[in-house]
Amino acid sequence: MNIESRKKALHYFFEKVVGPLGFKFTPDAELVEFLLEQEVILEGKHGIPFCPCQPLRHDRTRDMQIVCPCIPFHRKHFDIIKRCWCGLFVHKDVLDPAKLPQLSPKEVGLE
Amino acid sequence: MSEKFIRAISVHEIAPGGMKAIELGGNEIVICNCGGKYFAIQRRCGHMNAPLEKGTLDGTYLTCPMHCVQFDVTSGEALSGPVPPDFGQEIPPPMFGEYLQNIGMLMKDVRTESIRTYTTKLESGWVQIAL
Repeated sequence: MNIESRKKALHYFFEKVVGPLGFKFTPDAELVEFLLEQEVILEGKHGIPFCPCQPLRHDRTRDMQIVCPCIPFHRKHFDIIKRCWCGLFVHKDVLDPAKLPQLSPKEVGLE
Repeated sequence: MSEKFIRAISVHEIAPGGMKAIELGGNEIVICNCGGKYFAIQRRCGHMNAPLEKGTLDGTYLTCPMHCVQFDVTSGEALSGPVPPDFGQEIPPPMFGEYLQNIGMLMKDVRTESIRTYTTKLESGWVQIAL
């Protein structure tokens, strides 16, 4: 499979999913390229584009919750930090993603 | 050598976003209407020969109905492999588990190939395909 073609397709499909959820791709184009590439590699290995920033636990229920875009499964958390865990997606009103720290659920008081 | 175009279908036969399977000169072909642009591809999936017109077309991306292999209909390029039927440690019923294991072993060696595309052109309200 050609990585660039697959990245383009994933970008197309993900945009349709995250838009109605109030998110968009981060304006950091380099990060988008890098993370999508990692997802294509993971998809090649597992058949599913898992989040490249979270560990696979080989527990189906938990692993399916980190299939990108995983926003619906972590909505409360991501709405507080205004980004997904990787930073691939940010809230639509975010212009400078560098200002958004990667805070864990515990750090934002969800655990 | 110039390509020989053959009338395939009327442009009104497929709504935008739709697909139609036809047989032309002994070839099984699917014509896709991608927002008014028509693309023609081989009907059979490059993975396990499923009829692609029964899948879904989103933009120029076609997803096979059988194992969700995705293709770009503009180039015929296979964009992904099949989605795995199972993942993790769920335990299926005993007989079914054995069956799935055998299928899984067979599927391991099945390669996903890109599919053939055909040149199309529109003329007098007809989609024509070069064979």
